[in-house]
Amino acid sequence: MLTFALTFGFTAMGLAMLLNIVRLVKGPDTVDRVTALDTLYINTIAVLMLVGIRIGSDIFFEAALLIAMMGFVGTVALAKHIRRGSIIE
Amino acid sequence: MNHWITLPTLIPAFTAVVLLLGARLELATQRSISVLSTLALIGVSFALVWQAASGDYVAYELGNWPAPFGIVLVLDRLSALMVLLTALVGLPALLYAVHGWDTKGKNFHALFQFQLMGLNGAFLTGDIFNLFVFFEILLIASYGLILHGGGERRVRAGMHYVVFNLTGSAFFVVALGVIYGAFGTLNMADLALRVPQADPTQEAILRAGALLLLVVFSVKAALLPLYFWLPRAYGSASAPVAALFAIMTKVGVYSILRVYTLVFPGTVPMLDGLPAKILFPIALVTLAIAMIGVVGARSFRRVVAYLVIASVGTLLAVIALFSQEALAAALYYMVHSTLIVAALFLLTELIAEQRGVRDDVLEPSTPVAQPAVLGSLFFVGAVAVAGMPPLSGFLGKIFMLQSSLGTEQLPWLFAVVLGGGLLGFIAMGRAGSVLFWKTEGETASSPASGAAILPVVLLLLLVGTLSFLAEPISAYTNAAAEQLMEPEPYIRAVLDQGGEAP
Amino acid sequence: MTLLLIVLLPLVGALLPAWFIRWGRNQSALAAGVVTGTAFALLLSLSSSVFAGEVPRADWTWMSSIGLSLAFMADGLGYLFAFLILGIGLLVVLYARYYLSEKDPMGRFYAYLLLFMGAMLGVVLADNLIVLLVFWELTSLTSFLLIGYWKHLPEGRQGARMALVVTGGGGLAMLAGFILLGNIAGTYQLSEILQMGEVIQAHDLYAPMLVLVLIGAFTKSAQFPFHFWLPHAMAAPTPVSAYLHSATMVKAGVFLLARLFPALSGTELWFFLVTGAGAATLLFAAYVALTKHDLKGLLAYSTVSHLGMITVLFGIGTAAAAVVGIFHIMNHAAFKASLFMNAGIVDHETGTRDIRRLSGLWAAMPITGVLAIIAAAAMAGVPLFNGFLSKEMFFEQAWALEYQFVEGVPWLLPAIVTLAALFSVAYSIRLVWSVFFGPQAEDLPKPPHDPPFGMLLPVGILAALCIVVGIVPVLVAGPMLAVAATATIGIAPPEYSLTLWHGFNIPLLMTALAFVGGIVAYWKRWAIIGLHEGPLPFPEAKRIFDGTIDRLAAFSHGTTAALENGSLQRYLALLVGAAVVAMGWPFLTGSWSAGPGPGTPLDGMSLVVWAILVGAAVATAALHRRRILALVVVSVVGLMLALAFVHLSAPDLALTQLSVEVVTVVLLLLALHLLPKEGPSEDSIGRKARDVGLAVAAGCAVTAMAWVILTNPVDTISGFHLAESYPGGGGTNVVNVILVDFRGFDTFGEIIVLAIAGLGIYAMIDALGVPDRWKIGSPDDEVRYPLLLTVITRLLLPLALLVSMYLFLRGHNQPGGGFIAGLVTAVALILQYVASGIGWTTDRFVRDYHGAIALGVLAAGATGLGAWLFGYPFLTGWFDYFELPIIGEFELASAVLFDIGVYLTVVAGVLLMLVNMGKIRNASAAAPDAADGEG
Repeated sequence: MLTFALTFGFTAMGLAMLLNIVRLVKGPDTVDRVTALDTLYINTIAVLMLVGIRIGSDIFFEAALLIAMMGFVGTVALAKHIRRGSIIE
Repeated sequence: MNHWITLPTLIPAFTAVVLLLGARLELATQRSISVLSTLALIGVSFALVWQAASGDYVAYELGNWPAPFGIVLVLDRLSALMVLLTALVGLPALLYAVHGWDTKGKNFHALFQFQLMGLNGAFLTGDIFNLFVFFEILLIASYGLILHGGGERRVRAGMHYVVFNLTGSAFFVVALGVIYGAFGTLNMADLALRVPQADPTQEAILRAGALLLLVVFSVKAALLPLYFWLPRAYGSASAPVAALFAIMTKVGVYSILRVYTLVFPGTVPMLDGLPAKILFPIALVTLAIAMIGVVGARSFRRVVAYLVIASVGTLLAVIALFSQEALAAALYYMVHSTLIVAALFLLTELIAEQRGVRDDVLEPSTPVAQPAVLGSLFFVGAVAVAGMPPLSGFLGKIFMLQSSLGTEQLPWLFAVVLGGGLLGFIAMGRAGSVLFWKTEGETASSPASGAAILPVVLLLLLVGTLSFLAEPISAYTNAAAEQLMEPEPYIRAVLDQGGEAP
Repeated sequence: MTLLLIVLLPLVGALLPAWFIRWGRNQSALAAGVVTGTAFALLLSLSSSVFAGEVPRADWTWMSSIGLSLAFMADGLGYLFAFLILGIGLLVVLYARYYLSEKDPMGRFYAYLLLFMGAMLGVVLADNLIVLLVFWELTSLTSFLLIGYWKHLPEGRQGARMALVVTGGGGLAMLAGFILLGNIAGTYQLSEILQMGEVIQAHDLYAPMLVLVLIGAFTKSAQFPFHFWLPHAMAAPTPVSAYLHSATMVKAGVFLLARLFPALSGTELWFFLVTGAGAATLLFAAYVALTKHDLKGLLAYSTVSHLGMITVLFGIGTAAAAVVGIFHIMNHAAFKASLFMNAGIVDHETGTRDIRRLSGLWAAMPITGVLAIIAAAAMAGVPLFNGFLSKEMFFEQAWALEYQFVEGVPWLLPAIVTLAALFSVAYSIRLVWSVFFGPQAEDLPKPPHDPPFGMLLPVGILAALCIVVGIVPVLVAGPMLAVAATATIGIAPPEYSLTLWHGFNIPLLMTALAFVGGIVAYWKRWAIIGLHEGPLPFPEAKRIFDGTIDRLAAFSHGTTAALENGSLQRYLALLVGAAVVAMGWPFLTGSWSAGPGPGTPLDGMSLVVWAILVGAAVATAALHRRRILALVVVSVVGLMLALAFVHLSAPDLALTQLSVEVVTVVLLLLALHLLPKEGPSEDSIGRKARDVGLAVAAGCAVTAMAWVILTNPVDTISGFHLAESYPGGGGTNVVNVILVDFRGFDTFGEIIVLAIAGLGIYAMIDALGVPDRWKIGSPDDEVRYPLLLTVITRLLLPLALLVSMYLFLRGHNQPGGGFIAGLVTAVALILQYVASGIGWTTDRFVRDYHGAIALGVLAAGATGLGAWLFGYPFLTGWFDYFELPIIGEFELASAVLFDIGVYLTVVAGVLLMLVNMGKIRNASAAAPDAADGEG
């Protein structure tokens, strides 16, 4: 059961990531692309969780935590840049 | 436990830390700290040379981890010589800088000390990854130093410098990956044991690693076709920085010497002597092109910058012979070329400042304020750098040419070195004539103080010492070359002993 | 010891006149005279032993590894030359005192002169080839200074440079020749080499060695085709010309022929090269001398011609001929020095040296005229003067040849010789008759009169010598010639007779022909000059030389500019190209094979991640001109890379990658803000093709290497690390133990790199200043610090710091550590800067990042030093486990202190960089596309 769920999860997440990329490529706006990137970060977290479940280890959870944090900072920085240009002022 | 071998890296590192913590100290105090530390470095270096001169090796296992698992510092005659040379070039450069350059930007002294640390570390380490780390330290510190003084010209030249060298560093990492992947170790002595035992199927990877490293070191040494970053970077750096950088290309030369005598020597059958075969023609062409650059240069800083490249070409062409005589001669010449180029960079600025708006451009200008002093210094410097007697340039040249006797490379080496020498006469004769004789109008500048001239005099005195004491110094370089050509004791000292070798 | 003194005295004594000039010109001249005189006296003190056939020597080992010892010997040949150098040197010192004007810096003149004198003495007294070479090149250098003494004259500067290049360049050839010669003989000791003539001449390398050595000799002695520098060296003050071109510099070349005569001479090659060059020079220069209107120009070419004659004599290769060569060296020195000084007097007193303007000076300058007639008669070879003797002997030798230039034409050389003698007579007449006789010149720049006694005396002494030697040669010149000749040829010289009358013979006939023809040639001189200046195409050597140098400079500049064209893209392409060759070529030529190593199974998810990674990497390159977009795509690359690390079980790397990634993004955003939104379009199709080609090749090469490595597992040192991590390093996270312990020195280095980067960027931005185009005002609207963002980030800060602490503390045993923790802290603080601004954040957190960086490095370094106290090497770690109530067992390790240093440096270094980048724009404003420059 778990195997099936994992396979499903991986497939769904893989598909989601590819779709993120499609949006990232298509745009049309920079904002769209940044949003796509942010979503990619979130999907990556999910993938990490799935990997953790599959190998039965919590060793990747910090990585997931960090992705969440870093993704947020990256997105904030990009957003600030788009809005104001200067991100540290 | 004798910790002397760590001092050449630790003294400048801690000095830099103190200077950063004491950023609000009086300028004079900061200068004193920096100068005193460099003086101490000279003392330590002499002690190390004295220690190495006996022929003993010192292997210092950092963190008390046995080689090859931890990092070792290794002292042999070559590394001691390089460390001493660094200090001897560093002090005059610093003395020149405290004359005013150090106030033209932030953090000069800290960066300078870190630069010294990087240089010394590169010369002393016995671990090839650690060598990479020190390459990074000296690269990034030198980048900060190149920009010192500001201005668009420096920023542009500095960007080329750092981008190019960082790309080189990237390839260094690739090469290290290859070497570690193929041989499973990073300790150079350990590599020296493992490389000759490589499986025949590893031939390609072995050669790829060896050649890629050669490319990386050639970037640092400034060999054709990888030297193009140098003339502009050195030509636009402030004088004390350019003077210190006289030793920078020698890091590349040193690395080639070390790695291709220890790790990938000509005795490795699978290597088929490739590095030497490739190095020799490339170095000769570099020398030729560099001398053409010397003749074609229209400002004196560029003349000196191309002389740096020419000296590297000369050195590596001789080193590519990989015989004890050749290495002994090359080491002697390396000391000479480093000192003289440093002196010329400092002198160029003294001359350029007194010439006024023409700066160092080789066109008639107002005369310098101190024609006798600067003219004499220039004459001595030009004689030395052009390889005219009685100074060390001439002695070194003969030493090197002699070392090629009996080799099939002899005609090439003679032709290019001597032909290059002729171009050197032409260029230096013209430069001296324009700078000091072909003047127009009255001088409009004030004379330089004795303190500003002193560093140049110091460096030229060192060149004189190198010439006068040629006997003991060449005996030392000969012994250093002997150690390089006989790596077994080095390997034993690093791998067999738990600490210091007997 | 005396010998060493003789050489060193002028070299060291050169300082004296330069110093004494402060007390006056007489004092300076006197100092120079005393130095020269002392050296001369020292030389004379050796006379008795030299004439007794002994060879005084001195030796000091200078650099044994190149066979260089400062060895000197005074055999007859060296003694003769030293005598000429010092004797004529003394006269020149006296002469120059009166010749130089008030304006000329006399101290410098005498200093240069003495330096030159010392160099010449070194050449002639050397007993070691390398020493000879050292002084040989020194004469080139010092003569450069002397010729360029009047630095305001362009001819002086150019003449000096030409002399330096030609003679110095010849010296380089000689250097090569000497090294070969030393190799052949197995020693550089001259006295030994001279014994080994047969060995040397039989050696394979004899021919190339001889050619190289002769190039040196010929350039110095101005032999065809290297003669052209000498006439241009006449721009020097006349005392210099009198010295350099009579007794010294140019004689160095013929000295070398004499010196090496026993070792090198006698072969057919020697004859052809030496006599050939000499004969060509002899005739050609004699002819040109007649056509010169400048007194010194005439004398210069006559010197070249006479040197040719001496060269011919040595080239003949017989002992008898060599004796004559030595004799003529002596005679030529006397009359030529005298004539040069005479020309200097004429120039000095009339203001011109142009023979066409000078005429009838006899009336005003009778003494000068008499002296000129004597010396010119010696030069022409008139009986009763010294030149006659050597010329007669020369004619005799020209018939007695062992080899022939053209088989069956034995009279070829005698014909050349006679013709040259004819010209010699003609120009000697012109020198005297045209200047001193005929109608008195009207329009001279100065009214002529005889010069002061001090200028006449040296000329007089030399002229007297010409007569005395001419009349009683055996008495005056005999002994000196005998010892010099013996030393030159190495054995007792053959019979020769220094008498005036040898009876009616062929040499006498040649003399007669030369005199009759010479008078006719003088009479018809304008026809010859007209021919020379008109229809005969005559290559002007200076123009050719200058043209060559100019073309060389232009070519060099062009080549250099074409190579170093300032394009970073090209430099990088070369670097990558070189790397590709280095990596790829071994795989194309050497043997390699993929090993049996197990592959990693591939699953769907990995495929997706790899595909995105590759696609994003390619897209980054493709989109690089749209900078923000490229940055977004590069973030994808980073993220996927982190996933790849996770997949390959490297959580530490993944954490580091993620943190570095976001720091990089922030840094790039800060930089991009200062740059145009779009990069310039610079790529031509050709360059794109080149870059794609390079990228593909590099990719293939790296793939091949990775493939070979990954499929051929080797025994690595990491086994030790895995085993020792816990027992030896006190941690279960091997990566961290490697970082802080096994290879703590690397980490120490790398945090210093980070520290330097922070300091460097700070210094750079400080030096760069804020360009005006970036200062475009700052509209203060409400989105500057959005409330929502501010609130959230402030809440996030403690959380992030907690994560950071957690990663730090557990780092030794599980993924984490000081480096990652530092990055996380830095990112958390950056977020505050982004959300709340520099002012707000700086007020509340660390201000002195410099200090923090220093503290970090200090903490790490001091931890390392601590080991010294316990007698262990730098960075030796220590740890132990303690029991505490309630908490339980815990570990104390020095590595933690080290890691704190890492942590501090990382935080402060990153913030120093980013905040300073932000500050560039602090005073400026919003519109990001207003910036147009590229940094």
